[in-house]
Amino acid sequence: MTPRMRKLLEFTLDNLVWFMLVFVLAVFSALIPNYFQLGIFANIIEASSVLGVMSIGLALVIIAGHMDLSVESVAALSAMAVGILFCSAGIGLGIKLTPAWLAVPVSLALALAVGGLIGLFNGWLIVKVKMNAFIITLASYIWVRGIVLAVSGGRSAQDLAPAIRWFAIQRFIGLPLTAWIAILCFVLFSVIMAKTPFGRHLVMIGGNETATYRAGIRVTRYLILAFVLAGAIAGLSGWLLAIRTSGATANLGIGLLFNAFAAVVIGGVSLKGGVGALPGVYAGVLLLSAINTAINLMGLPAVYTQVIHGFLVLAAVLLDTFKTRLRQKLA
Amino acid sequence: MREPLLVLDNIRKNYGAIEALKGVSFSIGKGEVVALLGDNGAGKSTLVKIISGGLEPTSGRMIFEGQDYVARSPAEAKAAHIETVYQDLSLCTNVDVVANFFMGRELTRRVMGIPFLDERAMEAVVAKALANAGTRIPSLRTKVEHLSGGQRQAIELNRFVHWGGKLVLLDEPFAALGVEQTRRGLDMIRQVADQGIGVIIITHIMQQAFQVADRIVVIRQGVVAGDVERSKTSPDAVIEMITGQNLAGAGAAGGMGAVESPA
Repeated sequence: MTPRMRKLLEFTLDNLVWFMLVFVLAVFSALIPNYFQLGIFANIIEASSVLGVMSIGLALVIIAGHMDLSVESVAALSAMAVGILFCSAGIGLGIKLTPAWLAVPVSLALALAVGGLIGLFNGWLIVKVKMNAFIITLASYIWVRGIVLAVSGGRSAQDLAPAIRWFAIQRFIGLPLTAWIAILCFVLFSVIMAKTPFGRHLVMIGGNETATYRAGIRVTRYLILAFVLAGAIAGLSGWLLAIRTSGATANLGIGLLFNAFAAVVIGGVSLKGGVGALPGVYAGVLLLSAINTAINLMGLPAVYTQVIHGFLVLAAVLLDTFKTRLRQKLA
Repeated sequence: MREPLLVLDNIRKNYGAIEALKGVSFSIGKGEVVALLGDNGAGKSTLVKIISGGLEPTSGRMIFEGQDYVARSPAEAKAAHIETVYQDLSLCTNVDVVANFFMGRELTRRVMGIPFLDERAMEAVVAKALANAGTRIPSLRTKVEHLSGGQRQAIELNRFVHWGGKLVLLDEPFAALGVEQTRRGLDMIRQVADQGIGVIIITHIMQQAFQVADRIVVIRQGVVAGDVERSKTSPDAVIEMITGQNLAGAGAAGGMGAVESPA
């Protein structure tokens, strides 16, 4: 194989998800009436903001060679914390701050702190006590959701403070601010992962932890930080979720974890760690959202979405295996 | 006698009731290549970890360049310019040559206080270092997983030399290499040693030890069973030291200096 062909093939493999996204959008636009509209595309981006933000945190941890199953429950707990404090109906306490806009930074800080603390707990157990990431975060997935149920008593909080709701209503170039927050996060973390020593070290840790340890990189600190970031980012997605639904319910966000996994894997992040980049993950998120929108527009019963998502996860993992094999042949 | 670089004095290591090392003493000079031989379980890897960081000796001391030396972690050893090159353990194959060369020491440019990787400057440094060493790698932006075993080793050794390394430990450096690559690897070791760097090679392959080493140190059952100059011994004699059939070379625990080869 000539070097040029190899380069071309590698470029295709690296950006496969973007090609898939364009292909899927083209097919849907051609086949589904009313799909090809700016409003629909804006809707695809808007609907993917919560999932998108959550996927960033998950991707960081997976790229560093680990796993975090707790992101969905963490997001729910952050959303519930914000909901209980700043909602005025249901179980909401309706706390009023003066000036009213102060509720924005306070609620955001609360959501980030809740997520970051759970991330720290996960990270400490996994990295310092050296327990298995899968089991620890599975446990967190369960107990954090348990806390959501316990503090809410199974009831919900409604009517989020208008100052916070503002982010869902206010639009900039046709997109609500919540979507811009997601896009901003993707740009920010893409730059961090690709251009800074921190990102480079995370990728290298995911590739060969022993080598990075021998090279004097503080692996423990980096990995714990990755878990804290994943938690805090999940907290941010919970904050967005509370804004989107103007409150919080006990079963908020159930099923998001598997969508996030699907997005991350479809986006080209290998579950073995060390491979993948965040722009691809965003394309994966958009791809899922595009498919959801298509299902809605075609009027398929919503009960089928779960089946389709399940098969998407399966397809994503198959794709991952296939790509790994192809790369080995290239090597 | 060369100027000693690292001196090990009566190093012991116990794991609970098990004595892995029962008092190991030897020294290595600047620019000297020492082959460390021994059967499985003789205590070689324990010794390597004590020198290159990660294990602390139970007792005994090490003197590196005339000063007391203990490495609690690989990072500490590295700060003292001592490093181990493990087969395939020291490179991240998922990133390119430049990233590996600068692993943990990235050059950065600060933009508004935030450090950004200075890729262009790093690539220039790597290109120069590899060119000086006569190593040719098609593209420095190739991921290391696409490179051959010989090229990987060249990257590791060049990286070590470039960062001012003084003592390098090579653990089974040629286990996965072909004949031609091994020959080039041995040449490279000679070249590295000629710059005044101490080289300790851990190997099972007698032929390689005799090709490149100045001195051969045999570890058996946690003690130095032989410490001989290459020119004064033979592969058969060394094998006898390793297996313990002939105890003529087995110095007492704590014995130092060259021992005559068994007749």
